[in-house]
Amino acid sequence: MSQQFTPNNPLPQEAKVPVEMAVFSLDVEAEIDRHLAKYPVKRSAILPLMFIVQRERGGYLDPPGVAYLADRLDVRITDIWEVATFYSMINTEPVGTYHIQVCRTLSCKILGAGKITEQCSTRLGIKPGETTPDGKFSLSEVECLGSCGTAPMLQIGFDFHENLTAEKLDKILDTCERGEYVFTVKG
Amino acid sequence: MTTAESVKVTINGQEFQVQKGAPLIDVCRENGFAIPSFCYYADLALQASCRMCLVRIEKMPKLQTSCTITCTDGMIVTTQSEEIEKAQRGMVEFLLANHPLDCPVCDRGGECELQEMVFDWGGLEERFTERKNYYPEKFLSPIVANDPQRCILCKRCTRVCDEWMGEDAIEAGGRGANTVIGTFGGWLNCSQCGNCIEVCPTGTLLDATYRHQTRPWELERTVSTCTFCSDGCQMSLGSRAGELMRVVARDRYVDGINGEFLCIKGRFAHPFVNHEERLRTPLIRYRKGGKLIPATWDEAIRFTAAKLQEIKDAHGANSIGVVGSPRLTNEANYVLLKFAREVIGTEHYTASEAFSLAPFFKHMTAPLATHKDIRHAKTIVLIGGEPEELQPLTAKQVRQAVRNGGAKLVIINSVPVRLKQQATQFLHVRPGTEDALVLALAGQTDDAMAARKMGVEVGEIEPLRRMIDETQGNVVLMFGGELSTEAQTILAQLPGSIGDEENRRFLFHPLPLFNNSFGVHDVGLMDGKLNATGLLDAAGDTVRALYVAGGLLPAHLQGREQALQNLDFLVVQELFATDTTAHADVVFPAASFAEIDGTYTNNDGLVQRVRQSIPPVHQAKPDWVITSLLADALGIDFNYQMSASAVFREIGEHVPAYQGLRYPLLKDESKPVQAKYQLAGQRAEVADVLAELRQRVERMTGAGDKIMETPEVGHELFKIGTLTGKVPQFHLLAAGNPEPPDVLVSPLYQITIDSGLRRDTAIAGD
Ligand code: SF4
Ligand code: FES
Ligand code: FES
Repeated sequence: MSQQFTPNNPLPQEAKVPVEMAVFSLDVEAEIDRHLAKYPVKRSAILPLMFIVQRERGGYLDPPGVAYLADRLDVRITDIWEVATFYSMINTEPVGTYHIQVCRTLSCKILGAGKITEQCSTRLGIKPGETTPDGKFSLSEVECLGSCGTAPMLQIGFDFHENLTAEKLDKILDTCERGEYVFTVKG
Repeated sequence: MTTAESVKVTINGQEFQVQKGAPLIDVCRENGFAIPSFCYYADLALQASCRMCLVRIEKMPKLQTSCTITCTDGMIVTTQSEEIEKAQRGMVEFLLANHPLDCPVCDRGGECELQEMVFDWGGLEERFTERKNYYPEKFLSPIVANDPQRCILCKRCTRVCDEWMGEDAIEAGGRGANTVIGTFGGWLNCSQCGNCIEVCPTGTLLDATYRHQTRPWELERTVSTCTFCSDGCQMSLGSRAGELMRVVARDRYVDGINGEFLCIKGRFAHPFVNHEERLRTPLIRYRKGGKLIPATWDEAIRFTAAKLQEIKDAHGANSIGVVGSPRLTNEANYVLLKFAREVIGTEHYTASEAFSLAPFFKHMTAPLATHKDIRHAKTIVLIGGEPEELQPLTAKQVRQAVRNGGAKLVIINSVPVRLKQQATQFLHVRPGTEDALVLALAGQTDDAMAARKMGVEVGEIEPLRRMIDETQGNVVLMFGGELSTEAQTILAQLPGSIGDEENRRFLFHPLPLFNNSFGVHDVGLMDGKLNATGLLDAAGDTVRALYVAGGLLPAHLQGREQALQNLDFLVVQELFATDTTAHADVVFPAASFAEIDGTYTNNDGLVQRVRQSIPPVHQAKPDWVITSLLADALGIDFNYQMSASAVFREIGEHVPAYQGLRYPLLKDESKPVQAKYQLAGQRAEVADVLAELRQRVERMTGAGDKIMETPEVGHELFKIGTLTGKVPQFHLLAAGNPEPPDVLVSPLYQITIDSGLRRDTAIAGD
């Protein structure tokens, strides 16, 4: 009889730190199932699921959220990272209550997007990519949002604010600061 | 592949007959027209992002990327013109827009494809005045360093990670000019093969265990064969001043069966060669219970010879056992066998092998598959084994056969191995019941019983048989050590009984564990009366002395800890102090694979060269030289004149499968030579073996739980052995291939290679 090779070292698995996975309510799970049902290949549902997870996990994909997505879609966490970093609408880090996204692509740029960003920057005291210490505002520059005809424009959450001028922008920021801003489009 | 139709293509005014559908870039290069490229990589998905391979094709608008164009009839191609050169220069200028121009501090300097390209297509000055993108340097793992700003986004690394390794651990994040190669949370969660380092044309991904220690042009390069598993990858050893600095498989240095592929062991586990714990001198324990005391070679050889003679005289030749190792070269094992037979005259010789392939070789009715055959196979049946961890090159070939070649893969395993992601069919059997599947394959009659014992549905067996039947092309049968002697025999006879059809051919690919498992069988060292455990069991009884070259396996010593103490005399040849040397009366320091000439035979049956890269460290000597010295002291001169080549010539004369082989014939690693194994015919006695196999399967309980968990990546690869334990990075990985506690920060992320992981204080040898 041939001898059997018995590995003598125990598997080095104990040291692994398991990633905690996000848990969602039944309603959310149902919503996710609805999206998954739409695609023949599971991972095609990556974007809609990301929006849901982001909404449920406080506005960004936190590690448990990522672990959940990878598990649900049967992909590697690196695949999630690849997609998440491609789209400016998906956040991989916490963002403020009001996420100001100024379009910086051609039409907007020509019509003064640079100035808009600058005005936000000075008023809020943060650079693009940063969040105010009170966690109220985040500022970022994003690519074309498909609203070139009404340039320059910015987006707060998913709300468009178009044909911006310095006064208009000040007013918007005022309402936000007073906490009176009402989101019209839900994410 | 199958369209052998040939078409006419005109390149730079010359006409060529080429295969229809061949990539234009390959055709041009094969015919001597150089085409620059970054992103093109043979046998990987096309990327077409670098735009360096531009050519002009008549009747097509604009310049075309030759890597994505396939040859069609009447194509008229120009590969060199002012227009093309201008475009290519433009591309290089764009690539340099973000790439730092500080080659002197980059570890890839001297072997960087971008650097070379800039010599030919670069401008004298930079016209970009914008700020370059800046990203800090970092570590993606203890062995992969990352300098993202040097990236040219060819995405070879991401494709290799995905298509070769199936890991998808590294990807491109961000977008546009800010695209950057990376991982989620900065940690490379994978088997750490380092193939991304190898294929990276620039200094973006670097070997963190080697970088900044030397320059590529200071290294002496030697092509050799890996010493870790039975796949036998070809590699280039880079040494400086007697120290092995690194191992690579870059195609500019070596062109073997593995291309640029290596696994973590091949690429990173070499520091044992110059490790400070290597045995330095021969050691003698003059009396039992005493200490091992350093001695000269003369003294140790004389002492050993006298002792062996004494025991032979007192107890007879058979009281001395000789144990070789499937880790040693063919030369070493052959000389050991000769020593056992001619000098001692004992029938007790063997090798410390995990399982024997003798039944397979005796009955094989189909040739061995090479790794290339596997890549182009149409059906692959994998019974037991876990190639991803134990024979990584085989796993890569299987994955590519499925993903890039459309092959069908059937896996029969008691563990849900990762490779099952690629499988067309996965038969999840109970542990230890792989034999039943072989029984089922051998004839329909036992299906129901076999299925019951394996714990699968009867219906799952028939599709497998049909798949084999309907294959147009090669069927590769792979098997691991799980099969019993009888099952091995029946499987080996299977192709003979099914028979080849016009478009179908059977090939075998056994999966032994060690680099020279095949060779140790071929030279005949496994034919002795007792195997390693048998010898140990007889120790102190009929066996009074053992001569062990290369240690015994822990699996052999388990439960036989006393055996070695029961011996009158134990001689060991080793690299390091081990459990075996702890009981030895004489220890000889042996030379490692990097210090010797020789050959290994891989699991394709390819006889490949091992070449000396550095002089033996300390006083080490090659294993076969030590054996010859002993023979000489016992009065028989083997007369090899210190030449491994002479030993191999003798192997070529005495071992049937190696008939006529000589070192000069094995010179070119790109044209490996396969040993000529004798195919067996249909054997009559097989009916008996089949009956035995049936009984064996009947005796299986048909109960017991299945293993449900897919093992962690690296659970075998990162195991700490005598050799791999000498690499600090392996200890980190073995501690659990640490995944970050939360995905964003890895504990290893903070470990810089300076804090205790650098090798420089641990260097031995000078
Ligand atoms: S890291 Fe290297 S291999 Fe990967 S895309 Fe960048 S240049 Fe290419
Ligand atoms: S460029 Fe700003 S919306 Fe299109
Ligand atoms: S090699 Fe053809 S585009 Fe890169």
